[in-house]
Amino acid sequence: MIRSIGVSAAVALALAAGGAAAQTDGVLRIGTEGAYPPWNFTSPSGELIGFEIDLGNALCERLDVRCEWVAQDWDGMIPALLQGRYDAIMAGMSINDERRQRIAFTHGYATTPAHFVAHVDSPYRELETVEEVIAALDEGAPVSAQVATIHHAFLEQHVPGADLRTYETQERLNLDLAAGRVEVGLADSSGWDDFLGSEEGQSFGNFGPGLTGADFAIFGEGVGIGVRPDDTELLARLNAALCEMAEDGSLAALTEEWFGFDASMPCPTMDRAAVAE
Amino acid sequence: MLELLAFGPDGWGDEMLRGAAMTVAVAVLAYAFGLVLGTAAAAAKLSSLAPLRALAEGYTVVFRGVPELLVIYLFFFGSTGAVMWVARQFGYVGYIELNNFTIGVLAVGIISGAYSTEVIRGAIQTIPRGQLEAAYAVGMGGPLVFRRIVLPQMLRLALPGLGNVWQLTLKDTALISVTALAELMRMASVAAGSTREPFIFYITAAVLYLLMTTVSQAGFAWAERHYSRGVRRA
Repeated sequence: MIRSIGVSAAVALALAAGGAAAQTDGVLRIGTEGAYPPWNFTSPSGELIGFEIDLGNALCERLDVRCEWVAQDWDGMIPALLQGRYDAIMAGMSINDERRQRIAFTHGYATTPAHFVAHVDSPYRELETVEEVIAALDEGAPVSAQVATIHHAFLEQHVPGADLRTYETQERLNLDLAAGRVEVGLADSSGWDDFLGSEEGQSFGNFGPGLTGADFAIFGEGVGIGVRPDDTELLARLNAALCEMAEDGSLAALTEEWFGFDASMPCPTMDRAAVAE
Repeated sequence: MLELLAFGPDGWGDEMLRGAAMTVAVAVLAYAFGLVLGTAAAAAKLSSLAPLRALAEGYTVVFRGVPELLVIYLFFFGSTGAVMWVARQFGYVGYIELNNFTIGVLAVGIISGAYSTEVIRGAIQTIPRGQLEAAYAVGMGGPLVFRRIVLPQMLRLALPGLGNVWQLTLKDTALISVTALAELMRMASVAAGSTREPFIFYITAAVLYLLMTTVSQAGFAWAERHYSRGVRRA
């Protein structure tokens, strides 16, 4: 069953919004959507599953608290946190400045990288490092991206010499790629899933490293845990636990399990120092 | 594709049915709550006391005039604060919240009640005053007049309108999915998102909603015939 909030009009034990609710009663209530695979979704038997559910449970174990999952529709996710229905959000929520005005974020724990894709016979597929890829594409290579995306912006800024073509939709980009009208495409790895899994996409594959905010700030700060802005102690403890998991490789292992590749984000240097202390 | 709707741990059939049961439970309770509210508000509107009339007028104006989704959001995000404020007046300072089911029934019931009010008021007003005066003259008390004179005649006229209100109420429950209460609409969107197969689950939900409305419509048709027994069709 999806865990709903409370069982009757009973009294919840946690303290009101703000303060150290998680610390006082040994329960960390985490809000999630339950419909966004592989981050968080629902199994046919009605149970919440996914990368964030496993990560959240692992974090609770490290913080020595009990995890209580609260399913919440995406639209009410932030208001319900601020109201105190739960203490943290783990719902595939990307960190950005607009959301930062209302809630605080831990540092990013995962991000789906941007991938370059080309035909298996393309010479570009030999390239390995970011520098090699950029240098090669910068010599007038026909490269494509969906218009007005961060990938489009990245190509304009960092590969100005490429023959850049933009498409209204990822589907049209896929069609031209399959037809050989454009040689290379750049998009989010999850955006490639449909194409690479399709029949026309069989003879295509990604090349070079996956690009994330760790390589270029333009790719964003990844997905983080949202907490109430005044919950600074919880924030610090979550950050420390995330850093521990990033350092000992368990975070990377979890992302491998759910995404099929390492989508984990490293611990920011300043927090790494704090863990070492 | 149909195996997605299988029953048991590998399919969503049982989740969808459980969602439908939850929808029926919320709708029935909300509708019943709405009928009680509606009858009270209709009585208030017909009352000779001006403050009562104003109160009932305000109720129907507000809850018929504000979008249903907004009412649900206000209840969902406002109820916790309101309940805690009341508790604090009695000296309790902990964290309290109403569960989604209660919030859903209250919100949908109050909207449903606002529509019922007008239907019931209209039906009561068709009863000639002379009948009531005659009933009081033979010594009947207020409750007896309501049960023997007002209710049977009023129901016949109110039933078509109340049938409409029922259908509105049933469909309004879909809006509570925003509170993540595991009713039919929420289950459909969770299943659609989790399997990345939106079409099949939304179609299934539509079929289940249609099933509920057609079955209940048959019930209302029966009730209309029952309460029209004494009236000859022109």
